[in-house]
Amino acid sequence: MWCEAVRLRERGELRARRFEAVARARRAASLALSNRKEFATPHHGAVNSVQVDLTEGRYLLSGASDGSAAIFDVQNATEYEAGFIAKHRSILLVDKQHENGHKFAVSMAIWYPVDTGLFVTASFDQYVKVWDTNSAQVVMDFKMPGKVYSAAMSPIATTHMLIATGSADVQVRLCDIASGAFTHTLSGHRDGIMSLEWSASSEWILMSGGCDGAIRFWDIRRAGCFCVLDQSRSQLGRRPPFLESTVEKSYSVQQRKGKSNKKPQTLHKSQIPGQGQIQQRLHPGLSTSQNRATAHYGAVTGLRTTTDGMYLLSSGSDSRLRLWDIDSGRNTLVNFEAMRLQTSKPLQLAVTEDPSLVFVPCMASIKAYNLWSGMTFQTLRGHYELVNCCYYSAQEQELFTGSNDRQILVWSPSTPDFTEMEDDDRRQKDFVADEDNWSD
Amino acid sequence: MSVWNYVVTAHKPTSVTHSCVGNFTSPQQLNLIVAKCTRIEIHLLTPQGLQPMVDVPIYGRIATLELFRPHNETQDSLFIATERYKFCVLQWDGEKSELLTRAMGDVSDRIGRPTDNGQIGIIDPDCRLIGLHLYDGLFKVIPFDNKGQLKEAFNIRLEELQVLDIKFLYGCVKPTIVVLYQDNKDARHVKTYEVALKDKDFVEGPWSQNNLDNGAGLLIPVPAPLGGVIIIGEETIVYCNANATFKAIPIKQSIIRAYGRVDPDGSRYLLGDNTGILHLLVLTHERERVTGLKIEYLGDTSIASSISYLDNGVVYVGSRFGDSQLVKLNLQADTNGSYVEVLERYVNLGPIVDFCVVDLDRQGQGQVVTCSGAFKDGSLRVVRNGIGINEQASVELQGIKGLWSLKSSFNDPYDMYLVVSFISETRFLAMNMEDELEETEIEGFDAQTQTLFCQNAISDLLIQVTANSVRLVSCTSRELVDQWNAPEGFSVNVASANVSQVLLATGGGHLVYLEIKDSKLVEVKHIQLEHEISCVDLNPIGDNPQYSSLAAVGMWTDISVRILSLPDLELIRKENLGGEIVPRSVLLCTLEGISYLLCAVGDGHLFSFLLSANTGELTDRKKVSLGTQPISLRTFSSKGTTHVFASSDRPTVIYSSNKKLLYSNVNLKEVNHMCPFNTAAIPDSLAIAKEGELSIGTIDDIQKLHIRTIPLNEQARRICHQEQSRTLAFCSFKHNQISIEESEIHYVRLLDHQTLSFCQLILLINMSMAAPSLAVHSRMITMFIIVWEQHMFYLRKTNLQR
Repeated sequence: MWCEAVRLRERGELRARRFEAVARARRAASLALSNRKEFATPHHGAVNSVQVDLTEGRYLLSGASDGSAAIFDVQNATEYEAGFIAKHRSILLVDKQHENGHKFAVSMAIWYPVDTGLFVTASFDQYVKVWDTNSAQVVMDFKMPGKVYSAAMSPIATTHMLIATGSADVQVRLCDIASGAFTHTLSGHRDGIMSLEWSASSEWILMSGGCDGAIRFWDIRRAGCFCVLDQSRSQLGRRPPFLESTVEKSYSVQQRKGKSNKKPQTLHKSQIPGQGQIQQRLHPGLSTSQNRATAHYGAVTGLRTTTDGMYLLSSGSDSRLRLWDIDSGRNTLVNFEAMRLQTSKPLQLAVTEDPSLVFVPCMASIKAYNLWSGMTFQTLRGHYELVNCCYYSAQEQELFTGSNDRQILVWSPSTPDFTEMEDDDRRQKDFVADEDNWSD
Repeated sequence: MSVWNYVVTAHKPTSVTHSCVGNFTSPQQLNLIVAKCTRIEIHLLTPQGLQPMVDVPIYGRIATLELFRPHNETQDSLFIATERYKFCVLQWDGEKSELLTRAMGDVSDRIGRPTDNGQIGIIDPDCRLIGLHLYDGLFKVIPFDNKGQLKEAFNIRLEELQVLDIKFLYGCVKPTIVVLYQDNKDARHVKTYEVALKDKDFVEGPWSQNNLDNGAGLLIPVPAPLGGVIIIGEETIVYCNANATFKAIPIKQSIIRAYGRVDPDGSRYLLGDNTGILHLLVLTHERERVTGLKIEYLGDTSIASSISYLDNGVVYVGSRFGDSQLVKLNLQADTNGSYVEVLERYVNLGPIVDFCVVDLDRQGQGQVVTCSGAFKDGSLRVVRNGIGINEQASVELQGIKGLWSLKSSFNDPYDMYLVVSFISETRFLAMNMEDELEETEIEGFDAQTQTLFCQNAISDLLIQVTANSVRLVSCTSRELVDQWNAPEGFSVNVASANVSQVLLATGGGHLVYLEIKDSKLVEVKHIQLEHEISCVDLNPIGDNPQYSSLAAVGMWTDISVRILSLPDLELIRKENLGGEIVPRSVLLCTLEGISYLLCAVGDGHLFSFLLSANTGELTDRKKVSLGTQPISLRTFSSKGTTHVFASSDRPTVIYSSNKKLLYSNVNLKEVNHMCPFNTAAIPDSLAIAKEGELSIGTIDDIQKLHIRTIPLNEQARRICHQEQSRTLAFCSFKHNQISIEESEIHYVRLLDHQTLSFCQLILLINMSMAAPSLAVHSRMITMFIIVWEQHMFYLRKTNLQR
């Protein structure tokens, strides 16, 4: 298979970028528990969140239920066990002993997207804290009205430095690092907010998933939410149907007809309020029926956009995974195979960059689903207890997962060659022997 | 000291990715436009064949190329998009004869995944919009306004995941696209959408067709009035349109890569598949109803990446894997059953999978042997830099001081005599009846002294300049006709002559100008310059090829070159060269209609000036270093064009291409003197005096790179050279189709590095060769090493005796 790719590349039939994508996809499809990399976690509680920094792809930040957050270097191991098993120890740990440490569980720990100088932790002690990585000190904190479930920063923002936070309160709060104050509150949800995700294509668009089962899209420059996802609305009939009358008519006829067509077309518009401009005209007074739409039965526990910003994945306490088309706000109706999900906790999903696979924490295992067909591609088993979070590092094609068993596991591409390479070495040795014989 | 490297392109891209035909340069002219990686070539179709017009570089790899006719215009415009998401619209400015950029811009999006199947760029046949599919899930629209100007682009969401092809349909009231896509169950479908420009969205189109051939990959929109689209699959070809007409025919399994429309009404198409077979697809129709499809085999060409039907059955087949071709489609099949006749081939080096540098003569003039092409068009190509001289004959002769050729009469097209000058004598060689060179005598010439210059002159005379005299000898009787003697106490140091004029310099800065009038030498002017003269030239560069009105003189002491007018020897222009090295050779010449003054100094540097033939004005001074020894300059002609040969320790040919002087090295070590020796036996040959040797040789075509093709009919993948055993080894493979089952045969072949003839073949079957590597063993001279997947082979040459 990959021979063919190499050949195509040689002939120039496969562009460099596509060749790379093929190689990445192949590696992503062969993920298995790494037998060369281990993390020694200092956490004494369940690992709730893992994230690798976006700038270097080198530092893994984890947050745990014991109120601690730790940073690991994923590239350089602290020590090697048995010669080749790399052991990674935390290079920074902030826990309850720290003077400003969180008192209760850290629900989310995220990197400042621009550099590794700052990170943000959100905790059940109702605080969101911003840390200076180098000095391991809190530089700013925000008091929330309830347990904080989730925090998110836009990876593409250039004009704002907002942390969106979701808590047991019904409002999404935007905390501004620049000023140290709340800039907005976004109201609309009827229950606590478990998951938040910024759009990958626009720095103003925020998506939030609440315990009320709703996923709301917000444009933070405007009041109110502009779209509520409805699980029952699919792509079908999104495009206005073709008007039979416009076929096979000459131009002159059409021009006359054009006017009479206008009316039905405007009618179409009002019938599809899922669309960009039209939606914005509609809110804040979204029609009540739409405002009550739900994306999941029960709470929305996890949200993740694909890297191209076209699709949104959501997981719910109804043990369902849904794939949404962000532009139209419609359910793509991809039927993800049966799964059982944790119901009471925010879940962190991960998507490969192509996007072909989605990794979902399913109780004590992680399931990889094909994004377009919804078929189970692989089940990754290794944790002993419930898995809470996974993070896919596109740079190394590695998956990091955190679980209630207090472990962080690394899933690496199992290069088929590891064992074969050893064989190779042996074979080569044989040849070396040959050579010596010959040169006599 | 820091070392600076610079990179230049030795050979422009040759692999053709796109081509199109239209009236680009004028409403009456038909042009072929070819995209070669980063360059665009515009050709004009003439009764004599394709004539290249311009070759323009584009900043970026060309991803899409389309010709379109804007509203109310009589000429086509060209739309180009590059792989880095830049686009431009070019138009031809007929007045200035250059390209005009009508519009340009960036169509990239900040995020988005680049499409897997390459970029698609299409233009609505009614010129309402440009459509681009650059990122998965997005269709970018650049609308035209009423005046044909481009408006702001916008994206439309395209839900289909894996888009294989998109085309605009003809004859639709609103711009309509047809999309060929694959769903997540790997089934392929087509769907149509109308583009609603006002709403910036799609409207569901008039028809769709589900579950097509699994190999469907190409859409051909059919022009009005037939309309509709042809869907090319691997096993079937389907026609469908809005009226639910559905016609299908089975074809022999093949992957069609390119198509070209023959008739403007769209009833015939040329299809090229991945094995290089050209088919003709005919749409039979009764008035405006399509009644059926027919496919016919035409013949073999290179593996086509683009097909452009020009006119009168002439087709341009652009190829990425082999040479592009200009073919003619004949009405009658030849003996092989092929209707295709190749008129012209355009060399293509790509794709170069591997290469090695072979320095055969150890002259630093290496040649590159490349593994080029793919599939059946695979070949080895030998790319050689510089100009080669192929020695035809040579004699050992020591101490040659000068070399001239003479014709037996003034109007004879061929040279007859070769005058070889030594320190104290001059010898004459002539071609005899057997086309051999033998020594002869010319009675009127002085054979006892060194000759400074020799030349055929008007009225069948020969001129010989020696240190004491200038002699005029009749061609027919070979007897002395007239003589001019140097004044007492002075001897001629340097001299030059053309057919009617002689200019010579004696010691003390004396410059004497003679003219031949009525077979007599007439001293016209005599001046004394303030310094000694080092070199002179009066090669005619004006309109009159027999008479020069300018002379160039190089000077000692003030290191200058002077332009003097003839016949009155007045100074027109003096150019100081600077430095301390004396000019040793000057030359007035005209290359491609531009006059130059070339002046070589003693340390191997060459100055070139543009010379105005009327005023003697010198401009655009340039200095290049050709060698380290004194250079002597001489013109010669090859294939009817004049070039300059600079003899020195690094002999160089100076020629003009695109009105620019180019310098190309010659595969000879050291040349002292050179003169053209155009004989009937060996036309366009050169006589070359080297250290202790006189040789006669022919010269290659005057161009920078020479490419020789060794067709293999299989794809070479790795090559390496072993100097000790004088061989090249390469790995190659070939698809072997035995009935349905396809297998690959892999070879390792050995070639003689001088003659490039095959000497050994090693067959390796049933090996999946992922990425072999080939290396030469450093110690054992008869061995190549092949690393093949996880095995390593040593090849030992046993039966290779040399």
